Amino acid sequence: MNMRYRNFLLIIIIALFSNSALLAQSDKKKTTKIRVEYFNKNNTTEYLLLTLRIKEDRYIPFEDATVLIYSVGDTSNVLLDKVVSNYKGEAKFYISDDPLIFRDSTGQMTFEAEYVGDDQIKSDKESISIKKVNMEVSFFQKDTVKYIEVSVNEMAFDDQKSPLSDMEIKLSVKGTFSNLKFADEKTDENGKVIFEFPITMPGDTIGNLTIVSKIEDNDVYGNIESEGEINWGVIVPLAPEKHRGLGDTDAPLWMVYTLIILLSAVWFHYIYVIFLFFKIKMARKAI
Amino acid sequence: MDQDPKTTRALNFFAAQMVSISKSGIIQLIILSLFILGGLYALIVQIIEGHIVTGMRDNVVWGIYIVNFIFFIGISYAGALISGILHLLGVPWRTPIIRIAEIITVISTIIGPAYILLCMGRLDRLDHLALYGRIQSPIIWDVLAITTYLIGSIIFLYLASIRDLALLRDYPFKSKWRHKVYKFLALDFNGTAKQNRYLERGLNIMSAIIIPLAILVHSVLAWIFGMTLRPGWHSTIFAPYFVVAAVFSGTGVLIIAMWVFRKYYHLEAYITKIHFNYLGIILMILGALYGYFTFSEYLTSWYGSETWEMEVLYRLFDVNEYWWLFFFAAIVGVLLPIIVILIPRFRNINSITAVSAIAVLALWIKRYLIIIPTLETPLLPLQDMRTEYIHYSPTLIEWLLTFSGVALFCLLFFLFSKFIPIITVSKTDDRKDYSELRTLVMKRIMKRKLKEAQLKEFNKS
Amino acid sequence: MEEGKNTQSRRKFFSNTIPLALGAITGIGLLSQSCNNDEEEGETVSVLSSDGQLVQVKKSAMTPTASPNVRQGIPGKSFVMVIDLAKCKNARKCVSKCQKMHGLSTEDEWMKVFLMQDSNDTAPYWFPKPCFHCNQPPCVKVCPVGATYKRTDGIVLVDNERCIGCKFCMTACPYSSRVFQWKEAELSEEMAERDYSPESSVPSKVGTVGKCDFCPDMARKGILPDCVSGCPNGVIYFGDKNEDIVTNGNESFRFSKLIHDRAGYHYMAELGTEPNVYYLPPVNRIFDYEDGFENLSEDQIKFFKSSTVKKH
Repeated sequence: MNMRYRNFLLIIIIALFSNSALLAQSDKKKTTKIRVEYFNKNNTTEYLLLTLRIKEDRYIPFEDATVLIYSVGDTSNVLLDKVVSNYKGEAKFYISDDPLIFRDSTGQMTFEAEYVGDDQIKSDKESISIKKVNMEVSFFQKDTVKYIEVSVNEMAFDDQKSPLSDMEIKLSVKGTFSNLKFADEKTDENGKVIFEFPITMPGDTIGNLTIVSKIEDNDVYGNIESEGEINWGVIVPLAPEKHRGLGDTDAPLWMVYTLIILLSAVWFHYIYVIFLFFKIKMARKAI
Repeated sequence: MDQDPKTTRALNFFAAQMVSISKSGIIQLIILSLFILGGLYALIVQIIEGHIVTGMRDNVVWGIYIVNFIFFIGISYAGALISGILHLLGVPWRTPIIRIAEIITVISTIIGPAYILLCMGRLDRLDHLALYGRIQSPIIWDVLAITTYLIGSIIFLYLASIRDLALLRDYPFKSKWRHKVYKFLALDFNGTAKQNRYLERGLNIMSAIIIPLAILVHSVLAWIFGMTLRPGWHSTIFAPYFVVAAVFSGTGVLIIAMWVFRKYYHLEAYITKIHFNYLGIILMILGALYGYFTFSEYLTSWYGSETWEMEVLYRLFDVNEYWWLFFFAAIVGVLLPIIVILIPRFRNINSITAVSAIAVLALWIKRYLIIIPTLETPLLPLQDMRTEYIHYSPTLIEWLLTFSGVALFCLLFFLFSKFIPIITVSKTDDRKDYSELRTLVMKRIMKRKLKEAQLKEFNKS
Repeated sequence: MEEGKNTQSRRKFFSNTIPLALGAITGIGLLSQSCNNDEEEGETVSVLSSDGQLVQVKKSAMTPTASPNVRQGIPGKSFVMVIDLAKCKNARKCVSKCQKMHGLSTEDEWMKVFLMQDSNDTAPYWFPKPCFHCNQPPCVKVCPVGATYKRTDGIVLVDNERCIGCKFCMTACPYSSRVFQWKEAELSEEMAERDYSPESSVPSKVGTVGKCDFCPDMARKGILPDCVSGCPNGVIYFGDKNEDIVTNGNESFRFSKLIHDRAGYHYMAELGTEPNVYYLPPVNRIFDYEDGFENLSEDQIKFFKSSTVKKH
């Protein structure tokens, strides 16, 4: 009995050690993490945003790494393209109407992003399945109240639209450096949702305001963003151009005139005195 | 041209001095040249290595270069105001001193702006002032004013020297080039009635113009500081304050110059105790006026409670910082000249010159105290750890350039005195001449002798 | 008099008219100064801006080339900064990121962080201070050559190729915002070879003045300045007043609402310079001011702890 337990223990210890030896081998390589996100902008531009990070004490952006993008089909994967990450560890792969991209019967596309790795860095793979969505932003006015309507439809393989309900829509106003969020609602069973237009927000010189509608981080549909522009914002006139002042290129007129008068008065007398020099010379006694 | 025998004597006396140089003169020249060479070296170092070799840093961006600039422009009032006003008033005893005064003006108006150039970071872009100048800027006002002032004082000096230049042209100098230069500059002046009329007209115009011009120049200089939002600078009386201080320092330098020339050129016959007395009285009055302005400025600051004003004042009154300099500049420098000149017992040529020297030094220090403490107390707290950014101390380069500026002033004066007599030799106009002055002096000596005789008689009996 | 009446009157005529004519010529020459420096004013053109907005732009602001007109400014914008004093912990990332971006030495600071204490009884707080880009800038008034100028988008820039280094602007600025290049800067090779533009303020030039420039070259691309995005506590908000949106990179607010709700104010508003930087008072602070000492040296901590820190 003891002998059997001791043998069993020995085998386990040996197995553990051999395992750790293997583990030690793979520990030498640096781990990487790849993240894939899908973006759809204005229903026309679709791309995958790949973020690569590599572990050096902690995860930092992985620059200059080549990622292979595959389209996952029923039977096999097709290599679509290679992208290289920038200094932030980000790379974009634009999805076009490439016939190589496999779409199944429901119109869903599946992509796989792989970082190959080498003898010092581990490889990593990540896949994403996406269905295309069409999001429209439109504006209408009812009884002097202004509204925004957002309608979300799923685009099937044959361009058939089916409305998507219960989708969380976030509305924001577009700005130079960021967008200002002002509303957050879910779509109804028709895939539509209506918001009140933020009429107090300033637009440009003719009141143009761009409304950005977003669906963020949806499991099936990814990140969808759409824009619409209308001149319902508050008109902000161009600042009147200042012409003459202490802080401008041209001086206030009273300053210019004062200076001209003072300088002319003094220099006029100088010129007259120099003229007198000539007169003195002329008035010499005939020798 | 028929000459007054006194004029001939004076001319002979000065001509002999103009072509020779004494041993002490050579030694002085060597010393001055050494200082100037030192300044040249400092200039080259500053140009090559940049302004980092000075003590100026981000808080005190204007150091003793600007102090020197204000100082020299202030001195220039000697010719502008003293000479100009005395000419307009027709004061009899002005004749021996006006040329010294006018030369002071011209030389200091040349040297002063040179210090601004030293303070500019990009001398290679000097043309930008003309190409892109903005007349809203007090610096442009200053550039225009000083250029106008320099041209005006040169014209004034020239006008007042034409008669002497004519005399020199006719004097049998040994060197040919002297004769050529004098002939060109004398404008064929022969003493005709018409020429005299034109000359008088020119002199009247220039002396009338140079007075408001000088006032404007120094006011504009004061407004460079007065237009900023800094405590100690944003004061409404800055322009009149600077003008008064300038006339004060101008008179002081004039007295010193008079004493120097009287001693080294043996001019005891021409520059007498009367000149020192009268100028001393002017110095005293101006000192009192200047003290009045100073007192008013600081009393008003101190009485109020604005934190930023008090910061500067506390720095000035702090025994560890500027108190002793302030004491010397604002109190000793004002009271001492007044006391010495007021009391007849203390009043003599040497003492008047000594207090003038103290006054001039006090004014240099006072301008230092106007510029630097204000710059050392910005409105936002000074939380910099670097000592050279907290407290300004001039470096060797700056001192070398300061002293070489003074040496250059003396050297140029010396060169002028070799070119033209330092005292007006000819008659300035029909009203004044040396005989009148001599009579004045003789009358006073007679009066005193009479009094002494009477006193002796009284004591005997 | 010997001369006849004719010569006398001729003399009088000449002595009167010639100076008059000379004066007139001088006057006319100087009068041209009073004429406007720009061409036909008031003509505007409709332009589609880069972010798809239709903007009315003055014709004089348009340049035929692709390079931006650095004197006029980005049309239609009015940049503003809001600094939340309740969140500042003296991390000094704004200081170091700005220095890195503009190639400054570690001693030259265009963004400064002060420890302020308004009076002896009140609590000290950390006070980040960039250039305020005032609407009535005292520095612009006094520049003799127009090297520093105010643009239509509110930004005050320094043209280091025109600056003559007189430092008048440094004495005129009451907020100690300006820094002088006392010696040649030690720039990286890449930075030293860039084309100079007042919008990027790189490469710096010795003998000229520099200051915070609100990074207009980045604003043109819609990127926030490094001080804003680099702050770990989101203290600094930046945006366009005309759009009424400010952001610190993570959160965006309506500018007018933020100032209204949080009682935003100008520092030393009574100076009348009309700054474009607003401060939100240090209410409900998330840090103790002493937490800010961890980024300072021993000497600095001693300095701050010793005397009553100078305040306003």
